[in-house]
Amino acid sequence: MDYTFTEEQEMIRQSVREFAERKIAPIALKMEETKEIPMDIVKGMAELGIIAPTASPDYGGVGFDAVTCTIVAEELARADPTGSIPVFYLIQASWGHVLNKYGTHECKSEVFPRVTKGDWFLGIATTESDAGSDLGSTRTRITPTEKGYVVNGEKMYISGVREAYNRGGGHVTIAKQTPELGTRGMTLFYLPLQVKGITPTYVDDLGREGISTGGFTIDNVEIPKHYLIGEENKGFYIVHEGYEFARGLISVICASAGLKSLENGMNYIKQRKCFGTPIGKFEGIQFKLAEHYTKLSMLKDMAYKAMHTFDLEQKGKAKRFEVSKAIAMAKLFAQEWACAAIDDVMQWQGAFGYTKECPDQCAWRAVRSFGWAEGSKEVMRIIVGRELLGREFIPYR
Amino acid sequence: MEFVVLVKQVPDTTEVKVDPKTGTLIRDGVPSILNPFDQFALEEALRLREKIKDRIPVNVTVISMGPPQAKTAIMKCLALGADKGILLSDRTFAGADTWATSLTLAEAVKKLGKFDIVFCGQQAIDGDTAQVGPEVAQLLGIPQVTYVDSILGFENNKITVRSLTDDGYRVVEVKLPMLLTCSTPSSFEPSNPSMAAILKANKKPFEIWTAETLGGDKSKFGLSGSPTQVSRVYSPPVRGKGVVYKENIEEGIKKVVEALMDKKVI
Repeated sequence: MDYTFTEEQEMIRQSVREFAERKIAPIALKMEETKEIPMDIVKGMAELGIIAPTASPDYGGVGFDAVTCTIVAEELARADPTGSIPVFYLIQASWGHVLNKYGTHECKSEVFPRVTKGDWFLGIATTESDAGSDLGSTRTRITPTEKGYVVNGEKMYISGVREAYNRGGGHVTIAKQTPELGTRGMTLFYLPLQVKGITPTYVDDLGREGISTGGFTIDNVEIPKHYLIGEENKGFYIVHEGYEFARGLISVICASAGLKSLENGMNYIKQRKCFGTPIGKFEGIQFKLAEHYTKLSMLKDMAYKAMHTFDLEQKGKAKRFEVSKAIAMAKLFAQEWACAAIDDVMQWQGAFGYTKECPDQCAWRAVRSFGWAEGSKEVMRIIVGRELLGREFIPYR
Repeated sequence: MEFVVLVKQVPDTTEVKVDPKTGTLIRDGVPSILNPFDQFALEEALRLREKIKDRIPVNVTVISMGPPQAKTAIMKCLALGADKGILLSDRTFAGADTWATSLTLAEAVKKLGKFDIVFCGQQAIDGDTAQVGPEVAQLLGIPQVTYVDSILGFENNKITVRSLTDDGYRVVEVKLPMLLTCSTPSSFEPSNPSMAAILKANKKPFEIWTAETLGGDKSKFGLSGSPTQVSRVYSPPVRGKGVVYKENIEEGIKKVVEALMDKKVI
């Protein structure tokens, strides 16, 4: 058993950490006001090679595996308490993996060089007003035509709508092609947003404010055949591979944001005195610190193990559902444990913890979204239960 | 043309604490980094290579002396654009003072055969002696310019550099081969190696040279070859007293400016 990263991975961590500390950390809180990631940061990430790093070098990426992507996510989450840049990163890394593996050469040649340079955004659009974790309730339709496909429907609570609509790019999207087959009749495809028939809407989120959240209506949008991802009617299976990649990254982002917050908290409780003694000496605080640190370290280890299992599956050395279980276990407590730790750090800091100057409140708002993003924590429990008891125990069948 | 860059892996001194009892650095758990002055020296070498590449092809070799883990610093240099890395690593080299270190590095540079410019950082941030660069130049028998903050010109086997002095700077023209120690300007922003460059670095030539590789009398290396020994490390007492001007703001500013001009700070 070897718990060490490779020499290359350590260098990758160091390089991303230096970039994140020098460029991202100083401007992170400003994104709460500007509501966007500054373009020089996006371009810096592109030069570094960490936008959609899962894309093959043939298309402008670096072909990172899941574990190496997780290292990058961990470092970005340390530097950006708003969670905006980690989200911007994780979506493009995860759905870059799916497009890279299942997309056509024409589509990858068109999309990846622009995405990896930071000019375009590559997102994921599966959620609808009445279909989130319950993907089978999707109403959006895709219909084959002579030239390709026509798509109709509406997507909601989608990250990066403004980025793709204004700057270019699009979203890996799912729709029903053969509705009578349920989840077995769903097709995955690339949907550009700068086309006739797309009308965006936006929502104000509680956190992660540097990246937009919104939706779009899809009115008779025609797409070419080569935008198909995988095979027709097989989208439901493929989309879970992307979700699992994203869930693993989210787990480490939660752990890393929580651990960074604990670092902030430790600096504070060593200095702040109450009744003549640093408050870090009080067991009421110290014990919580120890518990949170232990839980978040466990969480981080589980995230890496899950992503390692993901990589094993790609090499044919692990089974699909082993990955599903490992990833679901890693995400199951991620948001709750991280939010609990950050909440205590805010408490230790008293009134300051409740001000907008305090990065920890910002981290709390960002991490809170991961209780449902890319698969709710309730669904994670269903997946683990399913793998332990068998498919006949799935409650919604 | 051959450029050689001498680098050192150092503890990140922004993370180092001093043991109040012994006065020594507490290095446990402190991350190691490429000496920032050396990174600037490397980037100067790479910039010059880029500038003259159309007329003169240049090969950049990085040499470092240190334990096996110092390979990380060399790998970073390779990821930043150096062509080849050599790590001088052997128990015989351990405990070297600046003299023995310089001698070992100079032997390695000689073993390379041809060299045109040797780039060094002005000093390492852990020892701060600023002795190794000048000593290597002396041992190689080549001219040296210290505290160089910019390369102004390069032609016909001559290099023109700007070298900082206590009073300002001087512009120096030197014939090759030569050695320069680089003084990092405050505006310098170190580059981060890109992901693609890191992946390529592992495919570049990297060698470990031992005392055997360098040959000759082993007693001239490491502790046995060191004429100096550190007897004590301590924080020097603060010399001089601070001055507080208690006049009104305008008068106070005037006096501060006068004092700074008097001391030739401005």
